[in-house]
Amino acid sequence: MKPLANAISAITASVGASALNIAETIGGASLLLARIIRALFPPRVDSDEVWRNLYNVGVKSYPIVVMTALFVGAIMVIQTAFYVQKTGATGLIGYGVGFSVFAEIGPILIGLMFSGRVGANNTAELGTMVVTEQVDALRALAIDPLPYLVVPRFLAMMGMLTLLMVLGDLFAIVGAALTAQLLVDLHWRVLLADLLQSHLLDEFTMGIVKAACFGVSISCISCYFGLSVRGGATGVGRAVNNSVVSNATAIFVIDFAVGYLYSL
Amino acid sequence: MNSSAENFFEAVGTPVVEVSRAWGSLMGCGFRTLRSIVMAPIAWREVIHQAYLIGNRSVPFITVTLGFLGLISVYQVAMQIQQIIPDFSMLGAAFLQIMIREFAPTITGLMIATRVGSGIAAEIGSMTVTEQVDALRMCNADPIVYLIVPRALACTVMVLMLSIYAVLVATIAGMLIANAVFDINYRTFLSVQLVSTDDVIVGSLKALAYGFSIPVIAGNAGLTATGGSEGVGWATTRAVVNTSFAVVVLDFFLSIVGHILFSH
Repeated sequence: MKPLANAISAITASVGASALNIAETIGGASLLLARIIRALFPPRVDSDEVWRNLYNVGVKSYPIVVMTALFVGAIMVIQTAFYVQKTGATGLIGYGVGFSVFAEIGPILIGLMFSGRVGANNTAELGTMVVTEQVDALRALAIDPLPYLVVPRFLAMMGMLTLLMVLGDLFAIVGAALTAQLLVDLHWRVLLADLLQSHLLDEFTMGIVKAACFGVSISCISCYFGLSVRGGATGVGRAVNNSVVSNATAIFVIDFAVGYLYSL
Repeated sequence: MNSSAENFFEAVGTPVVEVSRAWGSLMGCGFRTLRSIVMAPIAWREVIHQAYLIGNRSVPFITVTLGFLGLISVYQVAMQIQQIIPDFSMLGAAFLQIMIREFAPTITGLMIATRVGSGIAAEIGSMTVTEQVDALRMCNADPIVYLIVPRALACTVMVLMLSIYAVLVATIAGMLIANAVFDINYRTFLSVQLVSTDDVIVGSLKALAYGFSIPVIAGNAGLTATGGSEGVGWATTRAVVNTSFAVVVLDFFLSIVGHILFSH
């Protein structure tokens, strides 16, 4: 009986520990979001920092988002073409590609890339500032770290991910048209005409809304993990790891929530 | 005149040199890993330990993310079908095929890239900046044989296993929402009539390719880390971006291979 009781208590302990962990992360990130919103009314933001972050977050992520979007469009054309050739419904290829890229795969993949590029970078940057006591130095100079470090990042990530999503949709169409022309023997004009006739405005706006929500969650979660780093270089590495894992989970949960609410 | 020409060549040449140097170091790391797998003795105990860390520890993460992916993709596609022709008989079959062929391996690969890629880079990066890797070299232990080979073997096997598990999770989630919201019978949904051997081969090839490339890219990022905690943060960010992007690119090329080989 003893080993069984030990095993049960070990399982209960690990389930409880991970539940507490999840609750702590969600609570910490939500509190941070509440404090950010509080700091925005009336706005107490360092505008120089906002511009610098808009550049760091938006312009520097531009290449990776464009490359990802080109490949996403290309992959969806190959998959849809395969399916369409099997069933013989050639007219559906533009609709299938547009629907899956705008509503679902585009936001998820670009969100994940953005979380890897910007979220991880942000956690590493803030974490390094915490372990080298730069955040404490800010406090000693009577500068509140929230409006100086967190709010500019929040504004930059939310705004820039929304804009990058529009750009990503455009480049996904370019990638799709190129692949259709070069690999699948479908003239690019046919694909574009089909895409334009499919009335995908709802899907497009849903993708943009998803991107804005991802921007909010990525900034809150990555700042939360960055500011709560403990213990040197190992601590920074572990924080970045936790931050990207939580961000990826949040992206899928938010993706489902927005998709569900949008169709109500 | 002369200096502006010099500036121009410098601006063009620096990224080219940097990218080709990074590519060379990555390819070198990959080939040395492959050679060590064939030639050098393998520490099976370490491989199994890493397989536990990479595989078993990722199960909750994969369950949450792929579960939500299954929910939302079935929900959105079924909403579209409902508007055009209310005939759900092929929904499950098509869902299962595209899951096996495309989304289960690729989204699993991306999730492992973020979770395990950042973890490997943070761990090996901390070892590099605290000179533990140099200590290994002094003991005549090759860091590639000692650190990367066990992770590469474990990750290759585990991404394949997790992809199979991902198909299961996504299908169960999709089945539940199809039954709850659209009244689709479980038996109607769970149909393998569109799945062929080709789909299974393409999906498994993708999973194996992602599984090998993730630890090699992340390990290389960790081994080339420089500086203190900031360097570890940078290495981790680079690992997440590069592994995720590698998954997207490999997905594109393997999809083309699958399209060319099996489109008849």
